[in-house]
Amino acid sequence: MIFSKSSKNRLKIFSLIAIAASIIFFFIYNNLQKNVVYFYAPQEIKNLKDTPSNKIRLGGLVKEGSLKKNNNTYVFIITDLKNEIFVEYKGLLPNLFIEGKSAVVEGVLKDKKYFIASTILAKHDENYMPPEVANSLKKNKLNK
Amino acid sequence: MGGYIGNLALFFSLIFNVFLIFSLVKGIRSNNFKNLRTINFFNNSIFLLLLISFLTLIYCFIVSDFSNVAVYQNSHTTKPLIYKISGAWGNHEGSMVLFILILSLFSFVFFRTKVSEKLRVYTVFFQSILILIFLIFLILTSNPFDQMDPRPSQGLGLNPILQDPLLAIHPPFLYFGYVGFSLVFSFALAGLVTNNFDKSWSKIANFWIILPWSLLTIGIGLGSFWAYYELGWGGYWFWDPVENASLMPWLAATALIHSNIVTLKKDTLHSWTALLSIFTFIMSLLGTFLVRSGVLNSVHAFANDPYRGVYILSAILFITFFSLAIFIIKSPKKVLYGKYSFFLRDNFILINNCFLIFFLSVVLVGTVYPIILDAISGKSISVGPIYYHTILAPFLFVFLFFMSHGPLLSWNKEDKFLQIKNFKIFFLISIMISSVIIFWFFDYKDIILILGLFFSAYLITSVIFDWFSQKKLSLNFGRLVSHLGFGTLIFAIFINAYLSKEINAAMKVGDEIKIQDFIIKFKSINKIKKENYEEVFGNFLVTNKDKQVELTPSIRKYDQPIQFTSETSIKTNFIVDYYFAINLSEFEKDKIMVRFYYKPLMFWIWLSILLIAFGGIYQTFKLRNE
Repeated sequence: MIFSKSSKNRLKIFSLIAIAASIIFFFIYNNLQKNVVYFYAPQEIKNLKDTPSNKIRLGGLVKEGSLKKNNNTYVFIITDLKNEIFVEYKGLLPNLFIEGKSAVVEGVLKDKKYFIASTILAKHDENYMPPEVANSLKKNKLNK
Repeated sequence: MGGYIGNLALFFSLIFNVFLIFSLVKGIRSNNFKNLRTINFFNNSIFLLLLISFLTLIYCFIVSDFSNVAVYQNSHTTKPLIYKISGAWGNHEGSMVLFILILSLFSFVFFRTKVSEKLRVYTVFFQSILILIFLIFLILTSNPFDQMDPRPSQGLGLNPILQDPLLAIHPPFLYFGYVGFSLVFSFALAGLVTNNFDKSWSKIANFWIILPWSLLTIGIGLGSFWAYYELGWGGYWFWDPVENASLMPWLAATALIHSNIVTLKKDTLHSWTALLSIFTFIMSLLGTFLVRSGVLNSVHAFANDPYRGVYILSAILFITFFSLAIFIIKSPKKVLYGKYSFFLRDNFILINNCFLIFFLSVVLVGTVYPIILDAISGKSISVGPIYYHTILAPFLFVFLFFMSHGPLLSWNKEDKFLQIKNFKIFFLISIMISSVIIFWFFDYKDIILILGLFFSAYLITSVIFDWFSQKKLSLNFGRLVSHLGFGTLIFAIFINAYLSKEINAAMKVGDEIKIQDFIIKFKSINKIKKENYEEVFGNFLVTNKDKQVELTPSIRKYDQPIQFTSETSIKTNFIVDYYFAINLSEFEKDKIMVRFYYKPLMFWIWLSILLIAFGGIYQTFKLRNE
């Protein structure tokens, strides 16, 4: 016998905990993968191999002069200065949704040029820019 | 002038803190604690100095001393007095002063208790190390008394959504909770190092766990209430990382309260209780890091300085590493195994402890994973409420079941017969309650809803049963109230989630719309001018069947900084909230965007949170008197 009785016992308990922990971790991770929403800038969407079918977030600047209203549907363009994507949105525009300023929308891509938004994410002040949008704009300005 | 006094006080508190640590080490080495008076002197002076610097900061805000950078960035002369005062802790620097002040307050109060000299000295030693770490952080990276020259004539103003009476008192509660757990952390380390981690440790610790836990509960409740009426999104919990940051220590502390009771009653689970004491405070620190470092893309993140983040993160790693090292080296060895049987109260508590830790891991992963992924791969993701709901709900039901039966079991003697009898009664009553509600109010049946109502009714029934079988009510009153509050909370959350209604529309004055069961009439509009903002009120009449409610939501335009906020209008009859918010649209200037929410049992959600906290506060008062 290499192990004494008590250390064998401890080994048993330890492996039991390890198994339980890994099952729980796998369970949480699996669920997380199903429910996360990825953020893309317009240029990143252009570079994607295939159109993602689940919900995503798209962020950039609302192109000046692009906002149009048709019955209850708004259409506007989100741009990161490299690529532009049309966004269709049914519903109410929030307080700080302004042309020329940044916005983040959540919804699904119909194809690589057309996005159907279900929510426009609210911001709290005019000058606030979501970090993702700020990052992608910074990158594109540098590369220009 | 105020700035110099404040700076001086901070500086001296740092020096005194170093002296304190030296005298503590001397006391510990000599092993007879002859220098208790010196220790006491330093400990008191540090608290006094920090209090002076905090009051000085408040003074700077009140007199709008804009030569002070923190005041300049966060205040304005036209702001009402209460927000000038609360502005002192509404910003990064000020809130860190409050953080350290509370660390030292707990140290100050604890040293004056009747606990044995040895434990007091060791506890204050660990506490003063914490104070040292955060004082250095404060002075190096976020000094609240940084001066500006020349002195600006006007400040930049406080973010208007933070100008709210509730938000003025919300951070102190939250901080008392967060930071309050530091004491039990230090006390646990002291208990481990001196090999005093036992029943008597638990008896003292009980008070120091339940007190901050109660305050944290109130703090979370206030934050949630603020989000409900101020943000205007009709919700009260968004699984925002900042909300999660306060929920994580709460979950850990709830587990700790219960495992500590087991340690107290049965003198077992020492290691687990010690580990949870350490872990709870680390969760508080993690929360501070998330909120204060600006790593979050979120409403609340208003600090933006990478150095701060790196410092706090290293501090957390340092504290975690050393406290765990102490735990591993000095882990309490005494393990008592009695005759094992399943139907014992400590078993049920242990099971639910595991559940609480599971809930905590779910929230932790959901909060931290996006940050780590972003740091490693540059991908930005967000974790939505669905993740939390689908993963938490099924386990919550089992949790509620164990929570219903645990308190009815005996600590030592297995009593199966009574269990089964209770089980039948509870089962019948809660089946009746939940099916009546489901058939009365809902035209669709969702299994999660049914289970949610059933198990919360089950818990409420069991608590009421427990209540009336008490021989001496005051003995368990705190626990009963808190558990009852938890049962009604879950019940109200489920009803609210499934019966809420939302209507969105664009309206002009005079418009009337009819959607679902509601008729909404836009009666009139009027404007008023206030000290630091302009406000436009809409006057709406909502008719629901034969019930009429008048609501007057508004939009405020603040001057400093220029910003729009929507002020909600909420009317409640204690069963249902009628909730109204309006928005301006840049695009359609002639119309106003209206949002109407029908939110049942909101009042009961707030009441439940109060009950949970009240149970804790009652218990702390009782413990203090003992």
